[in-house]
Amino acid sequence: MSNFLTLFQKEFREAWRGFKFLWMPLLFIFLGISDPITNYFMDDILAAVGNLPEGFSITLPELLPIDLLLASTGQFQSIGLIVLIATTAGTISRERQNGTATLLYVRPISFTALFMSKWVIASLLGIVSAVAGYIGSLYYTAILYGTVDAGAFVQMLATYCVWILFVTAITVMLSAMFKTTAVALVIATLLLPIGLMIDSAIGSYWTVAPWKLATYGVQFISGSTSEHYTMTLSITIVLTILAIMLGIVFSKKNAATTKI
Amino acid sequence: MITVRNLTKTFGEHTVVSDVSFTLEAHTSTALIGPNGAGKTTVLSMLTGLLAPTSGTVEMVGVKDMRTAIGFLPQYPQFFPWLTALEFTEMTAKLSGVTSKEAKKEAERVLAFVGLEEAMRKKTATFSGGMKQRLGIAQAIVHKPKVLLLDEPVSALDPIGRREMMNLLKELQQQTTILYSTHILNDAEEMTDQLLFLRKGILVEQGSLTDVRKKFDAPRYKIDFETEEEALQFASQSQLHATVIGASVSIEIIEDVPTMKQLMERLVASTFRVKKVERVTASLEEIFLEVAGR
Repeated sequence: MSNFLTLFQKEFREAWRGFKFLWMPLLFIFLGISDPITNYFMDDILAAVGNLPEGFSITLPELLPIDLLLASTGQFQSIGLIVLIATTAGTISRERQNGTATLLYVRPISFTALFMSKWVIASLLGIVSAVAGYIGSLYYTAILYGTVDAGAFVQMLATYCVWILFVTAITVMLSAMFKTTAVALVIATLLLPIGLMIDSAIGSYWTVAPWKLATYGVQFISGSTSEHYTMTLSITIVLTILAIMLGIVFSKKNAATTKI
Repeated sequence: MITVRNLTKTFGEHTVVSDVSFTLEAHTSTALIGPNGAGKTTVLSMLTGLLAPTSGTVEMVGVKDMRTAIGFLPQYPQFFPWLTALEFTEMTAKLSGVTSKEAKKEAERVLAFVGLEEAMRKKTATFSGGMKQRLGIAQAIVHKPKVLLLDEPVSALDPIGRREMMNLLKELQQQTTILYSTHILNDAEEMTDQLLFLRKGILVEQGSLTDVRKKFDAPRYKIDFETEEEALQFASQSQLHATVIGASVSIEIIEDVPTMKQLMERLVASTFRVKKVERVTASLEEIFLEVAGR
């Protein structure tokens, strides 16, 4: 435990002094508020820059709060997720590559503590950013389109946090598994953001997959969610635990690859 | 203190360290010398526990987890640039098992010892090479290890930094057992109880500096003349095993040994203008070249 606190303090100092707790939430807030605002002013935007032919008319759909939260989720799941993965994928492999890990690994440290310190800080960063982003999104949605049920919103947020925990566990695990950050980054991108795209394209053939979790979470806003929600949530949690265990094993196994 | 038996490391087909055995006695310092690529770093990595040996054992009397009893300084220590020297040293102390209460105090103590008192609250990103090396020593000794393993502790430093580091090491020598690798032989000559010569992963020579020297020391005379012609002339006349380098002649003493006196008499009788006559013993460097070249 004391190992964990010591290592976590180091991770926290890195994130804090690198202003990660500032710019990542700001990015998510920007992503979160962009959909409610641009959709609301779509008429004016089209009129101002549209260059549309004479007599052209377009009927914009009547959007509900849930549509805007879904749109914001889509932003988080693409750009937000890629940025989170990119800042996390090197967390173990980079320290081995540049040799900073050596002075830690020669000590009697617990690799469980090492892995957990990395996973907790990445998750904290992801969760703080996602919550900030959703609150930003909800704020403009509430002003411009109407309010949503507070309980449902919290359920949606909690679900998204579970998804973030899964994402960071997978990414940190890959960082422990591969010698080069680039490989970890490519595989994490294929598994997560690209996985989401594949799921949204052909995902109608299955109902239970971690990639669907965020969408099921947003459905709480409409009053009731998919019957497959509980199963999806459970599978995501099991996979997260599995990723953590594998990650710890690989952190230890690959410790000798640190540059001396 | 530490007993190393038949240590071997192979990477695939390639044997990097082969059947190396030695012991480190308490409060002695041992120099591990050898040309680049001889396997020095690999030996040290195996002693730290970072690298598992293919075969062979490393044993330390009375210690269960050797990592608690070892301090290690890599050749190019890398620090987290966002931490200050004090934060880093405190962290490494805690990770080595020093209590949180003691860790800060110990960190401040060792940082003052290595001469980083002024800079300890600065981020390591701003540190020069010499400062980094001193911080490297600080993190290696903060948990009061029984054995210090240093990989090329002075090779990357300028002459001033090297001098400072050697003085630090000499002080540490009083308190701990030191094993360090180097290819700078003056340093090894200055601070060594035991020499280990590693060549292509094989321990080719080991022993005290005096023993090794005795073994390789072919005594020689060196005579400096005013001009190169005189040196050449003397060498051809002398019928001795003589080598000419510039204006000086080296005479290796083999079978028909002239004494210093005889040599002097011969020189006095001649018209050569002699600047200096000396009896030389082999430097570690010459031994090194001989061992490395075999």
